[in-house]
Amino acid sequence: MNSRKIKDGIINIFIWAAAAFSVGILIAIVYFIFSNGLPLISSRFITAQYNASTNIIHMTSEQTFLQPSGQDIFSENLGIGLEQDDDGFWVNYVDTNSPGRRAINNADEIVPVEVGQLLQAVTGADGQLRVDANTSPEDVVAALNSSPDITLRLNEQGGGVWPLIVTTLLLILTTLLVAAPIGILAAIYMVEYAKPGKVVNTIRFATEILAGIPSIVYGLFGFLVFVNTLHIGQSILAGALTLMILLLPTMIRTTEEALKTVPMSYREASYGLGANKIQTISKVVLPSAIPGITVGVILAIGRIVGESAALLMTLGTFARLPVNMSTGNLSLREAGTTLTVRAYVEVNESGNVEMAAAIGIVILVIVFALNIISKLISRKFSKANY
Amino acid sequence: MVELSVKLEEENSVECALFLHYFEVEVLSVEKEMSVNQRRVMMEKLFHGIFFTAASIAVVSVALIIIFIFSRGLQPFFPGNEFGNYNPISFLTGLNWRPSFGTFGIGYMIVSSLLATLGAILLGVPIALLTAVFLAEVAPKRLAAIIQPAVELLAAIPSVLYGVFGFAIIAPAVRNISPYSTGNSLLAVILVLSIMILPTIASICTTSIRAVPGYYREGSLALGASKIQTIFKVVIPSAKSGILTAIVLGVGRAIGETMAVILVAGNSEGGIPSSIFSIIRPLTVNIALEMGYAAGMQQQMLFSTAVVLIIFIIIINLVLSKIQKKAG
Repeated sequence: MNSRKIKDGIINIFIWAAAAFSVGILIAIVYFIFSNGLPLISSRFITAQYNASTNIIHMTSEQTFLQPSGQDIFSENLGIGLEQDDDGFWVNYVDTNSPGRRAINNADEIVPVEVGQLLQAVTGADGQLRVDANTSPEDVVAALNSSPDITLRLNEQGGGVWPLIVTTLLLILTTLLVAAPIGILAAIYMVEYAKPGKVVNTIRFATEILAGIPSIVYGLFGFLVFVNTLHIGQSILAGALTLMILLLPTMIRTTEEALKTVPMSYREASYGLGANKIQTISKVVLPSAIPGITVGVILAIGRIVGESAALLMTLGTFARLPVNMSTGNLSLREAGTTLTVRAYVEVNESGNVEMAAAIGIVILVIVFALNIISKLISRKFSKANY
Repeated sequence: MVELSVKLEEENSVECALFLHYFEVEVLSVEKEMSVNQRRVMMEKLFHGIFFTAASIAVVSVALIIIFIFSRGLQPFFPGNEFGNYNPISFLTGLNWRPSFGTFGIGYMIVSSLLATLGAILLGVPIALLTAVFLAEVAPKRLAAIIQPAVELLAAIPSVLYGVFGFAIIAPAVRNISPYSTGNSLLAVILVLSIMILPTIASICTTSIRAVPGYYREGSLALGASKIQTIFKVVIPSAKSGILTAIVLGVGRAIGETMAVILVAGNSEGGIPSSIFSIIRPLTVNIALEMGYAAGMQQQMLFSTAVVLIIFIIIINLVLSKIQKKAG
């Protein structure tokens, strides 16, 4: 009897130790990410460009602009406002019609003036004025207003993740736009129309295997087919098509599960009232399954945010806004990179753990938020419905 | 319809009025009948078609991928390949991967992948299972209500971040005890993978242990068994199929992981790992490292590597469906 007590006590200690270890690991990883990444996070971290750069850009003014209230240093000629501090003059306002938004560099590419850039030189009617912290604001404004044709040298500070966030969002939207309708409609067919039997079982087994195939295999496929053979090139489009194939099996499976949880009695009641099949599906089955489908979509978003192997060669690894340089607009045919892929590249190419951890903070916030939202949805609706 | 009648009335001619009359009597009544029956049938058929098309797109696209990967990956082993032939036996058992010399052996990668997965399972599963026992049986309700969401959050962290953690913390720690000058090793891979699969396995095990009916426990306790004996002799055996499912899923995740592993594996060019401190090169890493620039035979060989991975996944799934069938 006594030996049993000792034995139980030892096992109990192991159980508590294992649980403590699991929680400890979570705390260790989250602490590691935050302690390494936080020093790089500033107020501009989300909105700033990733890479530092200096651009010489030209613009032609066609109108005069009104000085906004509270804007002390302002060029009526260009519609650009500045603020002065110890480092020099920073752009802090750009009018919506400012020629600075359509400024071009020497290669005729559109490089717009953006808030947060540091002004280093102005070339107008009176030749070049070098701008630093000791230049007087009057001289700067006079130089900016001196001619309709102005050339600026602007310094972009970098160190932010704005391009990564834009690329990640575009990728999520494009992927879901294709994958969600096909996945949901296919699941409706599987649950509501297809006769149970060998065909459906085969499809189900195939989707299960596909859901288990490592994402690097999809990455290899996408790179060869979409990027190379179809000549789409490394782009958001190629990345989204690859992810679409990767997500379809999971999408179909989660939607199927959601549709199966709708009780048969709902359908029977609907038929009993004289509704036909399509009315039953659209007015009874789908509304009851919406929470489950939504949770599936949110999980898919989480998967896109966390995916890296499938995107490495299809989307690319360049931390840039996916902007077409000749039009200046966002384009799905342009390469970019997501937060997660960039975190990997930073560590793999330069061992920059701090930057990877700083990006990791953004990823953790997004992933945890998605997790909590999907929990709330399933909790709320599972109470309300059945 | 309204537009048409307004237009006709405006023109105000006899023929038009006659036509309008005919239209109202004949066409509208026919249309009414159609709206009751035929339109329903038409809609039904239309939507059936839409759903069927979506299902076909999904099935066909995934079938195409499999066919594409297999045809590319099997080409080097059949005569008539444009880049020459390769012996499948020396591909599967070869211990060197040197594309510039035309040597493509993935035997040591298969061993690496299997050892890393086995290690991760041996290390991760006991901790995960005990954590699940803690959450489902031992922990006070309030404590479990805090820890379970924490474990689920751990499952949501992207694998790249586990890799970064492994690169910055685990690999340097391994270097301290390693006879070699690098911390990248089989051991580092095993540690990263076991941490990564831990929350997934723990979550599924918790669910399946909770699903064991309460009267099993009551029966065991009434027979004089202690709480711990009840857990390990009654509850866990009853939750066996759920636990096995969790382990098989963990195996699938560990064998398919790429980005977390690539940062701590060391990526060797050949040789079976001689100790847990040896650098390794799992199958997934081989594809990730070389797909960017591979061409010709080397590219086909990466697809062959993918075929081997897919076969592993198929085996894992077959085992899984056997387990689930047995459990009923």
